[in-house]
Amino acid sequence: MTSTLRNDFLSIAAFAALIVLAVPLFFGFDGYELNTFARYLCLGMVAMALALSWGTAGILNLGQAAPFGLGAYIMAMHLKLMNSTSMPGGMPDFMGWMNIETLPWFWQPFHSLGFTLLAGLLFPAAMAFAIGAFIFKGRVSGVFVAIITLAVLVAIQLLFVEEQGYTGGQNGLTGLALLTIFGVTIDNYSLNFYYLVAASLLIVTVLATMLSRSKAGLVLRAVREDPNRARFLGYDVSNYEILVFSVSAAIAGFAGMLYTLVLQFASPTYMSVSFSLSIVIWCAVGGRESLIGAAIGAIVVNMLEGRLSDVFVEAWLMVLGVLFIAIVLFLPRGLYGLAVSVLDAMRSQDKARHGTTAKTGEPTRPGESASTSPTASLSAGE
Amino acid sequence: MAQLEIRDLTVDFGGFRAVDGLNLNVEKGELLCLLGPNGAGKSTTLDLICGKTQPTSGKVVFDGATITNLPEFKRARHGVGRKFQIPSVFKRLTVRENLELARSQRPGVWANITRILAKPSEALEKIMETVGLTDQRHVLAENLSHGQTQWLEIAMLLSQDCKLLLMDEPTAGMTASETQRTAAILEKLHGERTIVVVEHDMQFVRKVARRITVLHQGSVLAEGSIKDIESNPEVRSAYLGH
Repeated sequence: MTSTLRNDFLSIAAFAALIVLAVPLFFGFDGYELNTFARYLCLGMVAMALALSWGTAGILNLGQAAPFGLGAYIMAMHLKLMNSTSMPGGMPDFMGWMNIETLPWFWQPFHSLGFTLLAGLLFPAAMAFAIGAFIFKGRVSGVFVAIITLAVLVAIQLLFVEEQGYTGGQNGLTGLALLTIFGVTIDNYSLNFYYLVAASLLIVTVLATMLSRSKAGLVLRAVREDPNRARFLGYDVSNYEILVFSVSAAIAGFAGMLYTLVLQFASPTYMSVSFSLSIVIWCAVGGRESLIGAAIGAIVVNMLEGRLSDVFVEAWLMVLGVLFIAIVLFLPRGLYGLAVSVLDAMRSQDKARHGTTAKTGEPTRPGESASTSPTASLSAGE
Repeated sequence: MAQLEIRDLTVDFGGFRAVDGLNLNVEKGELLCLLGPNGAGKSTTLDLICGKTQPTSGKVVFDGATITNLPEFKRARHGVGRKFQIPSVFKRLTVRENLELARSQRPGVWANITRILAKPSEALEKIMETVGLTDQRHVLAENLSHGQTQWLEIAMLLSQDCKLLLMDEPTAGMTASETQRTAAILEKLHGERTIVVVEHDMQFVRKVARRITVLHQGSVLAEGSIKDIESNPEVRSAYLGH
């Protein structure tokens, strides 16, 4: 158990070094590149949110883009209001075009940044809680969870597109102010902003890792394998499922808020089916069993997309599809699984080498290493 | 009053009565063996006690509380533990993690979200010793031998600290020496916990059973010590047919 904790610590430290140090060094401190990379980190965060529910508890949420989009809109509402103070009634421009008389009541509280930040986390979580209670108390599982979450996603996106007067419809929310927090205006092309996003991702990584390593995380891993057996041990499985579903939504909401800050607009495409399914692909590529793996999967796929979609504009989606199929066929545990097997292979090779040197030196050793090697190969097979 | 009381328990699977008006009392600390030919309703009886199946009518009272229609996780909290016929340990978790998981005296979400697993407690160490899995603690359950898997599941029941252990063929597929060891484990538990065992292996039954109940077509055919049962002509005809 202590060795798992040490492994967690090491992988988080490596991940931190990667996104805090390596990225600015390799991609330069140029504003545009940093902003692009900050975008990848946001997508990494939402992939991590999915890995928490899918990888840990086996809940395949095809609607992970819904809490992400809600978080994005919530942040955009605040920034839109900040940019509309000179408008009549402090109302966003698009509302005027739709002949809306006064600022709707549910827009009012978003004048406050504190409320906005809380709402961006809690509203998606509360929504997930309600949907999760419906799904998991009814003991719905497997593919049906995927179908329900997908349907909810489509319904929410439709609502945002239809209610143009309140949401900006198909255009989304554009013309946003920069975020001003504690009197400091944050430029989304600055290095400081990049570090804000990177730090957010690291905090989420630590918290999510703690959750997955707690006893609750153990129960969730048991639920992934056999929910009925977990019930016979006295666990009310649905409560654990609702918990992880809600926490995952809160993280996705947080990622969505940051995403709006990066791109300076919120669009209903953030809640599209294709975007939501992309999150699943990122997770699968990176390895859903690992939170950091999933984030890296998102970063890698999006970097590839950034480079390749200029060259193959139409064919990019094909590339993504082929990549997904290849991963499922050849690397079912994703890049994380690949890394684990490479490390294990290196370790057992090391052991073998020690074993042969020991044979010449001490005659007692080989028997010992022979008795430990089966367990080593077993854990490699895991 | 007996610790486990079953009154007129009936379950109807679309016309087929797997358990039909069953009455059974199990005293605290007793080890009861359920015998019976295939389809006698032995496993179904265990299912009805632990909540895997809901009865059509009748009553299950455990420790003075009626648990007939409680969901399975609430029965588990009352102290009812079940070992299934096909070993159902969590294969992708280690031995230690399986046992930690089974230690579910605080099953709530909030109690467990802040709990980080540190060193195994003394009680857990003792349980691992009882079933002889101390050296396998970091091994994934899927890599255990069949006998070890069965013992891990028994150990999980101990870790769960349940008052009533329902065991469905705990020696199925075991070698002779593994069966003996299982019998020794049950002997050790006898008196401490109430145990209901379904078993076909008569040698094992002879070794552990104090009282035997024979089921036939969903109700009790005969009850008594191993000697009474073996010499009972009704039991013979139920097993061998007419």
